[in-house]
Amino acid sequence: MMLLAILGADDATQTPSKYWPEGYEMLFGIPASLIVFFLLWKFAGPTIKKGMASRTAKIQGELDAGEADRAAAAAEAAQIRQAKGDIAAERARLLADADTQAAALLEDGRARLTSEISELESRAEADLVAAESRSGDELRAEIARLSAAAVDHVVTGSLDAATQQQLIEDFIAGVGVGAGVTR
Amino acid sequence: MSDSRIEGYARGLFEIARAEGTIDEVEDELFRFARSYESSDDLRNALTDEQIPASRRQAIVEDLLGGKVTPTTTQLISMVVGSGRARDLPAIVDKLVARASSVKNLEVAEVRSAIPLTPDQETRLAAALANATGKEVNLKVVVDPSVLGGLVATVGDTVIDGTVRTRIEQLKSRL
Repeated sequence: MMLLAILGADDATQTPSKYWPEGYEMLFGIPASLIVFFLLWKFAGPTIKKGMASRTAKIQGELDAGEADRAAAAAEAAQIRQAKGDIAAERARLLADADTQAAALLEDGRARLTSEISELESRAEADLVAAESRSGDELRAEIARLSAAAVDHVVTGSLDAATQQQLIEDFIAGVGVGAGVTR
Repeated sequence: MSDSRIEGYARGLFEIARAEGTIDEVEDELFRFARSYESSDDLRNALTDEQIPASRRQAIVEDLLGGKVTPTTTQLISMVVGSGRARDLPAIVDKLVARASSVKNLEVAEVRSAIPLTPDQETRLAAALANATGKEVNLKVVVDPSVLGGLVATVGDTVIDGTVRTRIEQLKSRL
């Protein structure tokens, strides 16, 4: 009743401080709050602590995983850098090989070309000589043939009766002195 | 035909001609006919053709020689042709000529000329050949246009060649 009297004595819409609640509110409110806090600490605290520990572990795990990923990435980067270095070396080696082979090929090609040119020149000279010889032989044969035909024509054309008689007389005279005898 | 058979025919023909007393003429005529036979493909083919009866071939001979040579020559050639030995006629005649010359101690001198020789040329040529070979010769002249000009004489193994044909061949060879 007294409590009601106190409560009823003041205006319900008025408070003595702008910042502090009424006295009875503090009287009930503070213990209630302490009880709530106690209950929270008693029952919710372990769960919250456990959750926080779990979260910490999770974050640590994530940090560890991140660190592992970073290390893996670093290793991969190192591997890539090494591979890149190997590629550069291989490229240099291949280029050197290609240069060597190109130089050898060029040298071989030059030697072969020189040899072929020399061989072609020799063959051409031989063909030229053969052609000259052949032409000369053919020319000589043709001249001989024409000369023989001319001789035939001239001699047979000039063998008149008087010449025939003269040849016979010459033969008889020649035989008489033993000329033109073969055995 | 074998040599002995040719020799036998030659001896037979020789004895017949000698018995007839015409050996010189017959020998000369046979020689000329043999050379004509050698140089004429038609005559050779006609006289050696087995498809033509022997009597027909003999008739060809008689038609060809009748009145131009002594009857003995015609009959001897006809006999050889009739017996199917025309192919061996030149060899038989050569043996006969050699035999006839041998009997007279003469060497056969075959002379080929592009034109016929006069009797005077034949006499002088025989004398010249005898002088050159040291043997008396039985001159046999064959007219052979292929020599072109001049003469070629063969006495045994000796050949005296003065023909235009040979000179041309030598010149061609040198060319």
